[in-house]
Amino acid sequence: MNKKQKLILLIGFFVIIISFLIWAFFGFEIFTKTQVLVESKDELFGWSEKKWVDKFIWGIDLSLAISGITIFISGFLLYFFRNKKITS
Amino acid sequence: MKKIKFIFLIVTIFSPVLIAQGFKVKSTGSQSFNFEDKNGRNQITFYSATPLEDITGTANGISGTISFDVANFSKTLKGSLTVKVASMNSGIELRNQHLKSANWLNAEKYPDIVFTIKEAMDVKQIETNKLEFKVRGDFTMHGVTKEIIADAEATYLDESEQTKRRAPGDLLGVRAKFNVKLSDYGVNNQIIGNKVAESIEVSVNMVGSNKN
Repeated sequence: MNKKQKLILLIGFFVIIISFLIWAFFGFEIFTKTQVLVESKDELFGWSEKKWVDKFIWGIDLSLAISGITIFISGFLLYFFRNKKITS
Repeated sequence: MKKIKFIFLIVTIFSPVLIAQGFKVKSTGSQSFNFEDKNGRNQITFYSATPLEDITGTANGISGTISFDVANFSKTLKGSLTVKVASMNSGIELRNQHLKSANWLNAEKYPDIVFTIKEAMDVKQIETNKLEFKVRGDFTMHGVTKEIIADAEATYLDESEQTKRRAPGDLLGVRAKFNVKLSDYGVNNQIIGNKVAESIEVSVNMVGSNKN
């Protein structure tokens, strides 16, 4: 494994780790969401009502997609930067 | 003996009036409430457990009317409510598309979910303006109609400065809860690779006005 390949491997590994750390930071959600339900109190009847608010939640589906793409690109680059044999 | 017979006759004749349950509010007579809400606050909430993640969604496209005699709610309640399948939101766009697709509720072919009231049962007066009861009616979803019984609560508010901020006229707040068994309505309970619970919990929170 040459220097370039080692660097590609390191960057790929780093990207995957970061994507899973972000997932953990967002609370280990399964699916990525762009809206969440929040409860508020109805001032007239006193019951709680639910309302959608725009909020991005990073899900494991997104981390897996990023990991898959990273592995694919890293694999391609590892092959591309392989040591080519010099034939005389 | 004649006296006993007379008392029995009187009780028999007037018993429906004696056991009639209704609101003790300023308004009287027959009232009709419209539940079409332009602000989208009237809401159906549905909840289902899946092995991966529990799903909570809402639907705001509610319309319909409920009418009753204020003093005799239990015997006079009637009406029908409609929810637009297109207004259902589960918080994930892809899941919403699947929910409304032909594989699930088929919003194109069956755009409405309808509940038609047949009768109110076991009416209990909680407060002067609040009743707790069970409501029996026909629930139509995905082209299939089945009879269901929902636990419900209705609160009657006479028109006031406070209620006018929400809508003109007297207001009727209705909360209800019931379960819907998907297989009863011919709905496949697979959604984006997840098996949704066979029974969906449905909650209703809505406010209607008699001047809408």
